[in-house]
Amino acid sequence: MSAVAFTGTSVMDIDAAKIRGAGSNVHFDKVSVAYGAHVVLHPLTLDIAPGEILAMIGPSGSGKTTALRAVAGFVRPASGRIRIGAADVTDLPPYERGLGMVVQNYALFPHMRVEDNVAFGLRAQGADKALIGERVKEALATVGMATFARRYPRELSGGQQQRVAIARALAVRPRVLLLDEPLSALDAQIRRNMVEEIARLHRSLPGLTILYVTHDQTEALTLADKIAIMRDGRVCSHGPTTELYRRPPNRFTAEFLGRANLLPVTVAEPAGSKGFATARHRDAVLTGAGRDEKAGDRSLLCIRPQHLSLTADSEHTNRIVGTLREVHWQGELTHLVLDVDGTPVRVSATKLPVALPEPGAEVPLFFAPADTSLLPEDAGG
Amino acid sequence: MLVWSRPSRIVLWLLFALLFGVLFLAPLAVILLSSLADQWNGVLPSGLTTEHYTDVISGSAGRAVKASLVTGFLASALALVSGTWAALSLRLQGHALRRLLGLLFFIPSAVPSVSVGLGLLVAFSHPPLLLNGTVAIVMIAHFVLISAFTFGNVSAGLARLSPDFEQVASSLGARPAYRLWHVTLPLLAPYLVAAFGLSFALSMGELGATVMVYPPGWVTLPVSIFSLTDRGDIFAGAALTMILVAATLVLLLGLERITARATGA
Amino acid sequence: MAEAVALCAPAIRREPGKFWIVPPAALLALLFFYPLALIARQAFLDDSGVANAAEIIRVLHSRFFLNALINTVTISVTATAGCLIVGLVLALILAFVPFPGSGFIARLIDTFIALPTFLVTLAFTFLYGSAGMLNSGLMEAFSLPLPPVDFLYSTWGVVLAEVTVYTPFILRPLLAAFSLVDRGQIEAASVHGARPFRIVRQVILPAAIPALIAGGSLCLLLTVNEFGIVLFIGAKGVITLPLLIYGKAIQESAYQVACVIAVVNIALSLGLFGLYRFAAGRLGV
Repeated sequence: MSAVAFTGTSVMDIDAAKIRGAGSNVHFDKVSVAYGAHVVLHPLTLDIAPGEILAMIGPSGSGKTTALRAVAGFVRPASGRIRIGAADVTDLPPYERGLGMVVQNYALFPHMRVEDNVAFGLRAQGADKALIGERVKEALATVGMATFARRYPRELSGGQQQRVAIARALAVRPRVLLLDEPLSALDAQIRRNMVEEIARLHRSLPGLTILYVTHDQTEALTLADKIAIMRDGRVCSHGPTTELYRRPPNRFTAEFLGRANLLPVTVAEPAGSKGFATARHRDAVLTGAGRDEKAGDRSLLCIRPQHLSLTADSEHTNRIVGTLREVHWQGELTHLVLDVDGTPVRVSATKLPVALPEPGAEVPLFFAPADTSLLPEDAGG
Repeated sequence: MLVWSRPSRIVLWLLFALLFGVLFLAPLAVILLSSLADQWNGVLPSGLTTEHYTDVISGSAGRAVKASLVTGFLASALALVSGTWAALSLRLQGHALRRLLGLLFFIPSAVPSVSVGLGLLVAFSHPPLLLNGTVAIVMIAHFVLISAFTFGNVSAGLARLSPDFEQVASSLGARPAYRLWHVTLPLLAPYLVAAFGLSFALSMGELGATVMVYPPGWVTLPVSIFSLTDRGDIFAGAALTMILVAATLVLLLGLERITARATGA
Repeated sequence: MAEAVALCAPAIRREPGKFWIVPPAALLALLFFYPLALIARQAFLDDSGVANAAEIIRVLHSRFFLNALINTVTISVTATAGCLIVGLVLALILAFVPFPGSGFIARLIDTFIALPTFLVTLAFTFLYGSAGMLNSGLMEAFSLPLPPVDFLYSTWGVVLAEVTVYTPFILRPLLAAFSLVDRGQIEAASVHGARPFRIVRQVILPAAIPALIAGGSLCLLLTVNEFGIVLFIGAKGVITLPLLIYGKAIQESAYQVACVIAVVNIALSLGLFGLYRFAAGRLGV
């Protein structure tokens, strides 16, 4: 299925009567949510730029869904304001916010045909018939479901239902699309395809701001321009996706976003003008991207499993030695588990030396300073 | 399968057949048989006749059927509206008030029907609310007794309804009234139909409150069955009971079909 | 617009229709709770409207009231026990030793919930009445001068009729509970050599206890309130509280007496209702 170019391009009609401000950015201004004495979202300040996909990820109960529901208007913030564009929507009911929303279980209305589901928002807003017909066609074409217009939701597969749900949200031309774990009810294979389709969809609708809540880091890494990692009702880190992956600011981010080996080190020389610091692990001197560490600070050196190599070359200038414990061959990849002075270190390798060392052998590991970063030992756990 | 050996399974099935036969099958069969019995002095009736049916139909039965159907329909319709209204608006209340009111709406199902009838007699026998002796007081009695069941059925349906449907609807711009009419009520339809059917059936068989409050011109089926059997005319009573059972079952099956078709199940 | 909205204090946010509850609540209050309150008031007034509390004491000590109270409780407890036993046996067989058509039978029993309760009594008159099938058969077979079976016109007749009528109320939650019992667990137990009785006791019954308690308390409530069955049997010796209220109010026009008894009956019913709600809420039925 290929995404058909969306004729609406980047100029979004703004139908919601109450929102006349320009732009489609979302601004959380010290928004907190509490149920009685139980705080589920601590004051949150965050901006989603127009046309940006922000993925909020975190374990369940971290407050990410609460933040989305606050934007949608289903939970009242205990304090703070939410703005969409220039308009403060904090006190607006959900139906006056001009949003589109897709939820985990699709929530297609079972008593309506696909076309009526997609037309729902426009009809509810009292749009005229010709416009509705046109928009429904357009939205169904965008998600490749045009031929299913006359079907009932129960006659569709999970993936198809989710496409219709997306079409239904797009048909009202929302300025902000809220996706609440939209793919978690789907099979792994279909999920991968849908992630790519959403990415294509966003390329054809570059003005659409998307808040994407998920617990799946792969979805977040594939789709998001920026990621906010939530933990215990707080944003634990927030930044551009690649930046956050390459230089996680804290341990929780490093471990939640992909896999990370975290080697305890002591800073030897703080970062200079090029941004690289050196640190000691036992008698090994290692170089990696630093922040504001001072000499003598205890710190963690973060290296992704795929950046560790068994062979040295001109770039892989850092070297540590570990004892090989386990080898797991998985076809495309081989996972090695080593013990480096009591710290388990994982290696994911696509290429391995012909003569693989036996478990128990001492194995040197090499990695490039550019793939390495220092992060504080305690902050963020 | 809990029991593997065939002989013990057969023993259990025989036990089931015995209990089912004595408690459920025999009463229904006997009512049917007696409604058709000519003379019944021995173990079995001496002959079969449809005379009892023609008798009761030409007699007061037509009026009783009409009284029961009209009462059942109006009381159930009112209970449906009020129960649905209550269940829906209860969701807008705070937690504590919702629990308390939810309990209060259930209480009519717990109070003996005779006492409900007595209460209505005591309350509505004096001006300005003089309803004693009118058809309205019968309707009210039935409404009170079945209101808790419709409320319960609709509440159960609402509890099972995923909040996602309504939330998605409002995020798409549907105002509360539009959402209620186009999303919530259609999704509740199976529960509404079931609630209506159950209330209708309960109303058709209601005796305790009716016997306290009914006016002479509005004799429902159960009341006229009672007066027939009380006079010793038990065969005519049986025939009228069969008419009541048939009317109830036809109604329930019909509603079930409508629900099945509407939900496409 | 944005400024205007931003200036709104949180206190004047839209509170969506808190008052929608008023019409149905008012209707219920007028048609149900107001009459209920008047019953309580009438219990203190004699039929000419003069306060008379001594009458309450007299009624509560009277033989007819005490007999009816004892009858009501005895019948209710016995019938509930019967419903629990019969319901459990039927549900066990329907759920775990199914036969062709058992689903249909389960639904057939379920429709008894919708049928009028006096139907069963009327049928029992034909079956077990003094001129009924059983007695005629026995009299013919053994040339007896008098009908040998006369339990129908005693509390046992009422109990048997109530067991028939209220067993479906036990069966329904039990079958629901049994459908959640893991069949694999039962198969594993029988593979390990556990006998059916042991499986029932150790695997199935624990799963059924919430349904039994909730269904049982519902049965207690419904049997205390039962009127049609007792009225149709019409035995002189079997008077229950609802029947007594009917008799006093309609046949004797003794409204104060009827109201005093009704207050006791309602209190008993509400107590059982509380028990049911507590059991059902606690056990999540």
